Amino acid sequence: MGSAPAQIPTSFGHELRACLRCRLVKTYDQFRDAGCENCPFFKMEEDHERIVEVTTPNFNGIISVMDPSRSWAARWLRIGKFAPGCYTLAVSEPLTEEMQHICQEERVQYVPPKRM
Amino acid sequence: MPRHREEDDDGDEDYDGLELEEEEEEDEGGSRGGGGSRQKRGRSSFFDDYAEEDSQEEEDDEDDEDYGSRRGGKGAKRKKFSAARFVDDIADQVDDDDEEEDDGDGEDGFIVDNGTDLPDERVDRRRYHDRRGFDENDDEDVDDLERRIQERFYRPQEDYDEEATDVEQQALLPSVRDPKLWMVKCAIGREREVAVCLMQKYIDRGSDLQIRSVVALDHLKNFIYVEADKEAHVKEAIKGMRNIYANQKILLVPIREMTDVLSVESKAIDLSRDTWVRMKIGTYKGDLAKVVDVDNVRQRVTVKLIPRIDLQALASKLDGREVAKKKAFVPPPRFMNIDEARELHIRVERRRDPMTGDYFENIGGMLFKDGFMYKTVSLKSIIAQNVTPTFDELEKFNKPSESGESDFGGLSTLFANRKKGHFMKGDAVIVIKGDLKNLKGWVEKVDEETVLIRSGLKGLPDPLAVNEKELCKYFEPGNHVKVVSGTHEGATGMVVKVDQHVLILLSDTTKEHVRVFADHVVESSEVTTGVTKIGQFELHDLVLLDNLSFGVTIRLENEAFQVLKGNPDRPEVALVKLREIKCKLDRKISVQDRYKNVITVGDDARIIEGPSKGKQGPVRHIYKGVLFIYDRHHLEHAGFICAKCTSCVVVGGSRSGANRNGGDSLSRFSNFKAPAPVPPSPRRFQRGGGGMGYNARGRGRGGRGGRDDSLLGTTVKIRLGPFKGYRGPVVEVKGDSVRVELEMKIVTVDRNAISDNVAVTTPSRDTSRYSMGSETPMHPSRTPLHPYMTPMRDSGATPIHDGMRTPMRDRAWNPYTPMSPPRDNWEEGNPGSWGTSPNYQPGSPPSRAYEAPTPGSGWASTPGGSYSDAGTPRDSGSAYANAPSPYLPSTPGQPMTPSSASYLPGTPGGQPMTPGTGLDVMSPVIGGDAEAWFMPDILVEIHKAGEDSDVGVIRDVSDGTCKVSLGSSGEGDTIMALPSELEIVPPRKNDRVKIVGGQYRGSIGKLIGIDGSDGIVKIEDNLDVKILDLAILAKFVQP
Repeated sequence: MGSAPAQIPTSFGHELRACLRCRLVKTYDQFRDAGCENCPFFKMEEDHERIVEVTTPNFNGIISVMDPSRSWAARWLRIGKFAPGCYTLAVSEPLTEEMQHICQEERVQYVPPKRM
Repeated sequence: MPRHREEDDDGDEDYDGLELEEEEEEDEGGSRGGGGSRQKRGRSSFFDDYAEEDSQEEEDDEDDEDYGSRRGGKGAKRKKFSAARFVDDIADQVDDDDEEEDDGDGEDGFIVDNGTDLPDERVDRRRYHDRRGFDENDDEDVDDLERRIQERFYRPQEDYDEEATDVEQQALLPSVRDPKLWMVKCAIGREREVAVCLMQKYIDRGSDLQIRSVVALDHLKNFIYVEADKEAHVKEAIKGMRNIYANQKILLVPIREMTDVLSVESKAIDLSRDTWVRMKIGTYKGDLAKVVDVDNVRQRVTVKLIPRIDLQALASKLDGREVAKKKAFVPPPRFMNIDEARELHIRVERRRDPMTGDYFENIGGMLFKDGFMYKTVSLKSIIAQNVTPTFDELEKFNKPSESGESDFGGLSTLFANRKKGHFMKGDAVIVIKGDLKNLKGWVEKVDEETVLIRSGLKGLPDPLAVNEKELCKYFEPGNHVKVVSGTHEGATGMVVKVDQHVLILLSDTTKEHVRVFADHVVESSEVTTGVTKIGQFELHDLVLLDNLSFGVTIRLENEAFQVLKGNPDRPEVALVKLREIKCKLDRKISVQDRYKNVITVGDDARIIEGPSKGKQGPVRHIYKGVLFIYDRHHLEHAGFICAKCTSCVVVGGSRSGANRNGGDSLSRFSNFKAPAPVPPSPRRFQRGGGGMGYNARGRGRGGRGGRDDSLLGTTVKIRLGPFKGYRGPVVEVKGDSVRVELEMKIVTVDRNAISDNVAVTTPSRDTSRYSMGSETPMHPSRTPLHPYMTPMRDSGATPIHDGMRTPMRDRAWNPYTPMSPPRDNWEEGNPGSWGTSPNYQPGSPPSRAYEAPTPGSGWASTPGGSYSDAGTPRDSGSAYANAPSPYLPSTPGQPMTPSSASYLPGTPGGQPMTPGTGLDVMSPVIGGDAEAWFMPDILVEIHKAGEDSDVGVIRDVSDGTCKVSLGSSGEGDTIMALPSELEIVPPRKNDRVKIVGGQYRGSIGKLIGIDGSDGIVKIEDNLDVKILDLAILAKFVQP
């Protein structure tokens, strides 16, 4: 087993939000309490305003990744190096420029979603 | 493992120096090795893994927890490294639920797993690195060390710097060694839940579950995908899941379809203030609304829209009175008038919104401000994509706010809907905002949101960079443009006025002014007729609306028609959605004008009173005593004018009424008297054409446009029954019966009892080359001919077709002329008329060909020939025999009688024929025929409208009117009758007959035998025995 899994969403409805960077899906409350496991530098648990900024309720599809390193789907979606957990297939909007800047500072890759 | 960690933290500093050294060497080796392999990244997952390991090693150093596992001698310990890490991680996972470290752990897990897969190479490489590390370690100075440490710390935690290019994505395509996707059926609506539950199960059960991932797609109900190596793993995983039914079949997704499963469109919703949206459900469904606030957390959005509130109903509801539960109609959108509401004793509270500080009127829980309703709804209940407000909607929205500001707010959101590539090099643009407002220029280059424009003005930098949002396309009056989006999409027209970003076009289709946004058009020389049809309804149809009102469709909009309502008092135009139209009205109705003259569709009428006094034009539709007159000089409402029938007079006499003052055959030419309606375009005309042609037959039988009119007008011969051998044109088809107008009598016979081959015996017909044609074995050639006949007859009202007729006949009679090429020509001749004939669209596309003018060609070729040939009604009848109805019984709608097509007046269509010449050609023949028909002393049957038929004897003929004495021997009252109301009573064997046609016209004889359609007559004067057509024999009654 590679790493500790991320929190698993406690509900399946519209309270779900997806992290705009790593596409991890959790409820708003979970993001508020524990932040994003893959993107701790957003410090969502400290700054709750930021949750709205770096997560979105508009996402499409859910993939539960049990074994990211050995899952083809995770690799294809480029979430193979994140913690196991529930992710979304696609988010609809990019990070704000400010947040993208944070990613740059943290030297983490950010790939904005392709607009259809 | 909190204890463990604490210890590490303590020891961290102590070991720091040593640690750094170790790191140093590792870093050296690691970064080199990593660098090397990183270059190969993406090409092979194998190398990927290496790089991962290498960089990971460095990270391991930072990782306090790993420190302990590393302290021993390097060579030996390294080999155990992976295993040790593995154990460590598990411990971490179990003991420490804190996510602080998870990031690193994720990476670790990745490496370790691969490490276990490839232990041997791993070790080899590491040894190599280690050695190198040792070698170089000595040379390091402290500064360099520091720098390296710095670098290392800033190294991205994840090796994610690969660009997600398409090419590299290709490298990730699934191979046979990858896990497979299995499709598993689950409870509907529980897809996400199942995916999440399986995740939880995996966490709870650890690696018992050998599945890799579970995918739940939003757009795929009832199924989830499970990624696993083996089907058995999937089965194991789903065992006991509540929402997955046991014993479901598990389907393997083919390897090439695996990527499709994961390719989802990211639905982009950019909801921000001032975005135009549309409501999806409820009373306001389809209504435009403007976003005023978005609550992303609660997924709700506050919009303002124009309320649709029935104040009366609201008042009674608030009073606690019963309100009709479900109202059928939705109140129209109207701004809320608070005073009005107060008058109805509706409680209005004025409250201040604590958040915004704005005041809202609160009525029964609904919030209003400035007449708008403010409504907070779920994000799911609005449509935010591709919302393009129409002009009317925008105008309404901008009504209450006086300032132009809000207008601009709306505009900017309009611009937000611009597609990429909106501006192109060379486009003429105008600046609509900012310092450079009203500056015109040409697009030089488009760079994302910045557009470089060339203004050509001196003193300004060239090119000039302007934000796309500040630009608007610019057009000048006179430009010919095409609308590329919005309600008028597809229309073309000429710009007649430019008002900032709004253009007024003169549409090519409707010749009406159309207002469009400059943004929505492109310059184009294309001329389109635009769409003229939605569903079953077409432009200029008469339609019945839901509320039993009716009107003519005069303009098309997106999924809606503009309808000129049948309100004679004032022009009333309504925008009607397709679903609000009940049906099309195409009944043929005749009404009486002010002077009790009959008006039918197609007649010219002049309005003599009311608001549209003085207008004149052909009647297009009649319904409930209301006429829709088309006046092409009338620029409003697509030229349609609505008038009461009693406010109109027929101009030039009704065509259907013509039979009152003319003989039967004359009535066929009554079109000469009534100026034929001049169709502005043939297609519009065709709608009424069917009825018109038929009515023009002038026997008072109009208005019964039968379903199957293919026989109409064809001359048939009765094969069986008492009328066997009789010939005549078919005047009506009803079910299996046809009404055939024999030369003497209209009878009803079985349809199977007729044949279409008419052997013509009268001298005039004998000379007709048409009949010969009809008897030559050219049947195959007739069949293709037929479709032509149909439209021709129908559109016979248009003069063009007279022209058409001649060449066509030539073709028909000449077996050696192939049919197809001319057809093609015709079709090409007038592409604009394509698809415009409602009657013939389904069955006979070639009908359009008919509108193609073949100017003069056929006309000129046989001016005299065909015309004189066609001179007698009978002849034209026999000509139609060539439209062999039995062969083509399915041809839809042939509402034409034989002659009407032939004798249309020269209208501005440019027909070389003038009424006079036309008559000249015909009158001798007509005269003879007409006289022959109604002669004194013959027994006739009288069919007066509304009366039972009666028999009588013609006593006198004058001016086309017959004096008829009722009774079989003429003993009864004497009445006046029109020949059209009379029918010859066919004589029987041994009757005395009068010959009413042919060279023996006027002679009396005795019918001594009947042979088929021929009668054997012994003429009394000379006792000659003649064989004559039964049709020209009438029973003689001694005066």
